[in-house]
Amino acid sequence: MPGTEPQPSFLGRISIRRNQVSAMDVNHDPELEELELFQKHVADRFTDLLSPQEEVASTETLLSISWLRKLVDVFLCCEAEFKAVLIMGRDPSQICKPPLDRLIPELLDRAVKALDICNAVSSGIDSVRQYQKFAEIAVSALEQKPMDDGQVKRARKALNSLLTAMKVDDKEKDFKGAERTWSFGRRGNTNPFHKERAARYFRSLSMIIAKNWSASKQIQAMSSNLVPPRGGEPTGLALPVYVMSSVMVFVMWALVAALPCQERSGLATHFPIPRQLTWAHSMIGLQERIGEEWKKKEKKGSVGLLEEMQRMEKLALNLIEFADGFQFPGETEKMEEVAAQVAELAEIFRKMGEGLVPLQAQIREVFHRIVRSRTEVLEVLDHAAKISQPTT
Amino acid sequence: MCNCQTIMPSYEAEQHIIAATQHILKALGASKNLSDEFKRVLTELDSHLSTMTIITETEGGRFSEIEEQLKHAERKIIRWESDPCLIWDSGPMEATEYLQAVNEILIVIESLGGLSLSENGKPKEIALRAQNALQRAMSRLEEELCHILFQHKQYFKPQYVLLHSRAEGVFYDESFASVEDEIVDETSQRDGEDRESAECYLDLVDPCVIPNIKSIANVMSASNYIQEFCEAFIDIQREALYEYLSVLEMEKLSIEDVLKLEWDCLSRKIKKWIWIMKVIISVYLASEKRLCDQILGDFGSFNSFCFIEISKDSVLCLLNFGQAITTGPQKPEKLFRLLDMYEIMADLHLEMDSLFSEDNGSFIRIEYHKLLSGLGASARETFMRFGNAIASDASIRPFPGGGIHPLVKYVMNYMRLLPDYCDTFNLLLKDQDIDESNAVVEIDNGQDFSSSTSCPMAYHLRSIASSLESNLIDKSKLYKDDSLQYIFLMNNIHYMVKKVKDSDLRLFFGDEWIRKHIGKFQQHATSYVRATWSSVVSMLRDDGNTNLKERYRRFSIAFEEVYKNQTRWCIPDLQLREDLQISTSQKVIPAYRNFVGINNRNVSDKHVKYTTDDLEELLLDLFVGSPRSLHNSRRR
Repeated sequence: MPGTEPQPSFLGRISIRRNQVSAMDVNHDPELEELELFQKHVADRFTDLLSPQEEVASTETLLSISWLRKLVDVFLCCEAEFKAVLIMGRDPSQICKPPLDRLIPELLDRAVKALDICNAVSSGIDSVRQYQKFAEIAVSALEQKPMDDGQVKRARKALNSLLTAMKVDDKEKDFKGAERTWSFGRRGNTNPFHKERAARYFRSLSMIIAKNWSASKQIQAMSSNLVPPRGGEPTGLALPVYVMSSVMVFVMWALVAALPCQERSGLATHFPIPRQLTWAHSMIGLQERIGEEWKKKEKKGSVGLLEEMQRMEKLALNLIEFADGFQFPGETEKMEEVAAQVAELAEIFRKMGEGLVPLQAQIREVFHRIVRSRTEVLEVLDHAAKISQPTT
Repeated sequence: MCNCQTIMPSYEAEQHIIAATQHILKALGASKNLSDEFKRVLTELDSHLSTMTIITETEGGRFSEIEEQLKHAERKIIRWESDPCLIWDSGPMEATEYLQAVNEILIVIESLGGLSLSENGKPKEIALRAQNALQRAMSRLEEELCHILFQHKQYFKPQYVLLHSRAEGVFYDESFASVEDEIVDETSQRDGEDRESAECYLDLVDPCVIPNIKSIANVMSASNYIQEFCEAFIDIQREALYEYLSVLEMEKLSIEDVLKLEWDCLSRKIKKWIWIMKVIISVYLASEKRLCDQILGDFGSFNSFCFIEISKDSVLCLLNFGQAITTGPQKPEKLFRLLDMYEIMADLHLEMDSLFSEDNGSFIRIEYHKLLSGLGASARETFMRFGNAIASDASIRPFPGGGIHPLVKYVMNYMRLLPDYCDTFNLLLKDQDIDESNAVVEIDNGQDFSSSTSCPMAYHLRSIASSLESNLIDKSKLYKDDSLQYIFLMNNIHYMVKKVKDSDLRLFFGDEWIRKHIGKFQQHATSYVRATWSSVVSMLRDDGNTNLKERYRRFSIAFEEVYKNQTRWCIPDLQLREDLQISTSQKVIPAYRNFVGINNRNVSDKHVKYTTDDLEELLLDLFVGSPRSLHNSRRR
């Protein structure tokens, strides 16, 4: 049967990596070395996210689709390495002892919340794909030469749908009640004098997500018990658990901020990270920049942090303004400006076309990876519990 | 373009200029001062101009004809803009006329063809007006489409049929104590009749409006507005599906919510989910697909695009619940639900693959298969854990009375449900390591059950039975009294054999296993008789030192001791109890009768506490499970 082949063993792959890592060891304590290496890799990856190398900097703007894809990749890499640190070659009874007996269940709990966030964000990507469709209609209408009234109106309508759909998604909570109960009946024979046009339904994020689910509450819950191990404690595995949890919360937070997601109020506040940790610097830097963007968004009332979406929204507003004032054949200067904007919009929807589907696939990968890791950690716990149990 | 406009004359002006030029040419032609060569050129030019006039005159005529046509169509389109009624609600005539108007506009645009907008003047003006009118009409048609789809959507509310309620009520708690035989007796009919409902289509939209929708699709496609058609169509149909899911009472739960649910509640939701999956995939989505084919069948990839966009969210929502189930803890009671889920998904997977066969459906296909294999892995893992749980179920105190241990009841009743899932199970267990020691395959019986006794499930069932048996041996060691150990083992192995014999399990365990285990419990019975009664009977034996009276006394005391103890013990199976009482009698009564027969003349009656009949009767009180004593009541 297709799809039932067992996945290549993750642990198998990791063990190869561990051998490679330990082959490079010069330090006498391989465990300590491994921990430092893990932190160093996390630090390197986040530095690269904060300030990408010059040759890609222009294409990997903060919160753009390609930046998010990189972010998700970073998560996957960190996660794989973390699991190697946590599980491989370790005495399973270690993870049943304090403080891990508390930290691991907390980690698993965060993992479950992250799964729901992955679903929500994946649904958000489908929303963006819908904006992309509307943008496509607008672009093809506005690319007609010469531009005529009919096509301009057509584009305006599509752009208007685009903005409405964006707003519906952004204001998911408030809109749901009002928007969804609109009925087409109001324009039927029942009330022939009613002049109002029928309302269009737009795809809503709430199709997949549970009614009272709130992305910002999830993020909050994930970070509320996230505290760095204190100096006095035997660090051991407590530190990597903390590092991984921070990476997870950060990545989920950034995805929720960037993509349409149900209920995101108060997202500007982010969880504190102690600066002295090697990787903290760049993560804090990113937190601050994304936090600022979020505040700007809230001030402007714009709808999304995804770079392409922000530009799309701005262009849509400009083009609608143009369409409202358009009279055939339009002033040459204006037309040139519009042509440039249309080209930009075309470029954005092309980028979305290229990037969204792979991004969604990556997020599904994150989802399945978290599921798998969680199962593996549970198995280790189970195993450890059996060992520690006195035999009767 | 703007420059051209100022230079280029309008149609009327053009006519004037041509007329004027022709006039000049005539005048010139009349002149005698011109060379022949020049005259020739003039004549040529004149004939040129004449044909040009003819052309422009016919063009002009056509333009005005086209303009008339456009005006007529525009009027119809504009008239509806101020009308609050919907066109398709106002009757077929109105709708046909409206579509006719749109077609007229399309003809106008078509006939302007190449010249249209790059030309100037009249044609250009007409073309612009036509495009404008077309846009208005398209906008209107989109609205009409939404309205038709919305007004004519049809709901069918299927009856909630419980599928596979086979494993009803098997629940697990740490003590295994809550399982009673009766609870599991709901062996229900499997989905024989449900399967027939596959391949049935429903009309999600009243069939009488399908031609209307189709005609809107055709005209919007012809006008190059198919994208708008699709977006509107998707929006409405997606919403209808979404609404339908709420009619079916499909709840949207986050994974976190699902993991928090109590088992009973979760089990109910799983059953509901199974039913909804079936209804949605094999009925609703199949019908949706058909609707898309009917309407968009001629429009290539737009067809599958719409279908996928309509169904994606709902399908993912359904799959997400399944995912949440596989994420949860793997408790034994979950096994049957997992198998139910696996089976329904395996049943539907071909339908799923054909619904989402296009490239852009691969995302859903992949997720579906991932979940299917996830459920399989989860079921397998749960089953393995079940085996381990049995092996490691340890007791501290002996089970009172030596009766059927709740673990045995639980495990046997649990196993009894598994044969229903035989095919699925064999598939899932195929690649698992098999403990060869349980691979008892019989060859000697004539019936063709050999295949079922050698399938993976049979190995696993026997392996579970064997861990159960070793667990029972461990548990039996908790009894200080050897005889009670035997009673306990006899009772429990007998119970296992009975459950196997009385159910389909026999096909998997095989006659060999059954024979072997009948032998085992009989052996325990024999051992019991020996362990308890040999010493009692030996009291009667003449050892040379003990006088007759004393032998009677010792026997009575020993008997009373056994009586006191073993009336408390329990053999719940009446037949088994009776058999053991008989074999006990056979051991005790003849010896006693013999003893009494030989010695009755030498001992006075007051020393003979029990007659043979008394003993026979008293033996019937053993293993009833209610303690009695002989010290007072029975004394004569």
